[in-house]
Amino acid sequence: MLKKIRLEEAIGTKLAHDMTEIRPGEFKGAAFQKGHTVCNEDLCRLQKMGKNHLYVVDLDEDEIHEDQAAAILADALAGDGIVWKDEPREGKIKLMAGRDGLFAVNTAVLAAFNMVDEVMCATLHNHTIVKKGELVAATRAIPLTMKRAPIERAAAIARQNGAVLAVKPIRKARVGLVVTGNEVYHGLIEDRFAPILSEKVETLGSQVAGVTFAPDDAGLISKAIRSHLDRGCDLLMLSGGMSVDPDDVTRQGIRSAGAGEMHYGASVLPGAMFLVAYLGDIPLLGIPACGLFHRITVLDLVLPRMLAGEKIGKAELAFLGHGGLCKDCKQCVYPHCPFGKGA
Amino acid sequence: MDAFEVLLGNSANAHGHLCPGQVVGVRMAMLGCRLIGLDEPTSHDQIKKLIVYVEMDRCTADAVAHVTGVKLGRRSLKFMDYGIMAATFVNLETGKAYRVVSTEEARSLANAYAPEIAEKHPQQLEAYKRMPDSVLFRVQEVRVKIDECDLPGPTRYKAPCSRCGQVVRDQREVIKNGAVLCRPCTEDTYFSDAKEVTWPDMNWKPGNSRTQGRQDTKITETNCY
Repeated sequence: MLKKIRLEEAIGTKLAHDMTEIRPGEFKGAAFQKGHTVCNEDLCRLQKMGKNHLYVVDLDEDEIHEDQAAAILADALAGDGIVWKDEPREGKIKLMAGRDGLFAVNTAVLAAFNMVDEVMCATLHNHTIVKKGELVAATRAIPLTMKRAPIERAAAIARQNGAVLAVKPIRKARVGLVVTGNEVYHGLIEDRFAPILSEKVETLGSQVAGVTFAPDDAGLISKAIRSHLDRGCDLLMLSGGMSVDPDDVTRQGIRSAGAGEMHYGASVLPGAMFLVAYLGDIPLLGIPACGLFHRITVLDLVLPRMLAGEKIGKAELAFLGHGGLCKDCKQCVYPHCPFGKGA
Repeated sequence: MDAFEVLLGNSANAHGHLCPGQVVGVRMAMLGCRLIGLDEPTSHDQIKKLIVYVEMDRCTADAVAHVTGVKLGRRSLKFMDYGIMAATFVNLETGKAYRVVSTEEARSLANAYAPEIAEKHPQQLEAYKRMPDSVLFRVQEVRVKIDECDLPGPTRYKAPCSRCGQVVRDQREVIKNGAVLCRPCTEDTYFSDAKEVTWPDMNWKPGNSRTQGRQDTKITETNCY
């Protein structure tokens, strides 16, 4: 229960909450902290901040303060790999990445959580690569004081599938590369796929265990795949031969190697002719030629997610459509752009 | 209690179709019964311990009634015409009562929980199966005072209308200016312009066959008071 008193009557009372001061361009923060005892000298500054009245808090048995609420919410929202401190500032608690990895948000649960009137949580996008200590989300209750029950309901909603927010470790894969194409195999052109793909793999902390070249021959492509598997590779990338020409036989090569599940086509440009296949649990990625000319393609959206343990199938490739169009900016600033953020 | 899918299938058959309201109603009933500690409400030893108040006459109400086994005619189902998607489950033995309210926000979350289904109706249906109870409902613990005249069991009260003589049961008579009246005599009713009539084949009883065809019907009005 909140009691409103005039500023002049507030001398000697404790502030019910952090008092935010904003001086545009200069400062936004807590001018006074919750619990501060108001004294005569404070009145002038409080008036300049536009305060003519203050609240005195007198909680009923079934009520809690925004700071208590924020802690209840943060505890419920934080899953594996998320850390937070019970130090609310202006009612807000920040949630940080507890390790390097891929930030994961259960967007349906987050939506359900945010539908509760008294609470909010704002996060970075799902599938963002984050570093340990990075701010990934923040939460707070909306009212200053409230009944405990809706906060506990929001916390229960947040816990429905384990937790809403997590940072998943990006595993270190042993990657086998197969560069396909007659022109490269016979030395007519110099291959640029291997260095480009190796850099992407190594940036994510994985290792290229071997690079094999194969001509446009399904049988030889299949053999190259099997030799990488024998070498112990747990992720395969095949470049070239993914388009519609009669010489593009990489898909057949993948099928001949024994791939059971195949998803050809992604809702992303560049990268529509991307392929994801599985030989048992081992993913095989078919990378189209756009990978040579665009700094960022569908591969950059999908690879981190796979290495974080997500199974990429038909639905995942389809849902990339919203936000899957690269604007092809003169100066590429990915990942600080809309590309891939809609999924 | 049977598994959710079994309850849903049977309820939809009884109601006449499968709709999102059926899913909500079945789940509302499952939750309500769990909260008041009656896990087999249709069983012989639990059926008399349960009263359910439904606050709407929609698909959800049928599902709640079907799953719990409560019936209007057994006085275990009470219809409160509030237009609210809620039901209160009362355990007559312990006195515990919980009001389970379907949330409006569950409707908005259908797309979040079943994004792969494009059509609105099937999407809502599937989403309502995927949402946990915490998202679909809010629950209040409530106190329900049930008057003796509303309890199941044989009729305890009868009163004749002082104007027309109609016997009114269960203390539903209206006292107006000291006089005991039946509801129709107060003129605050759902029907109007009542005229007594005779009707074809008036002496039909079970076991008889019909003696008159439709073409021969003639309904005679008689003036009555």
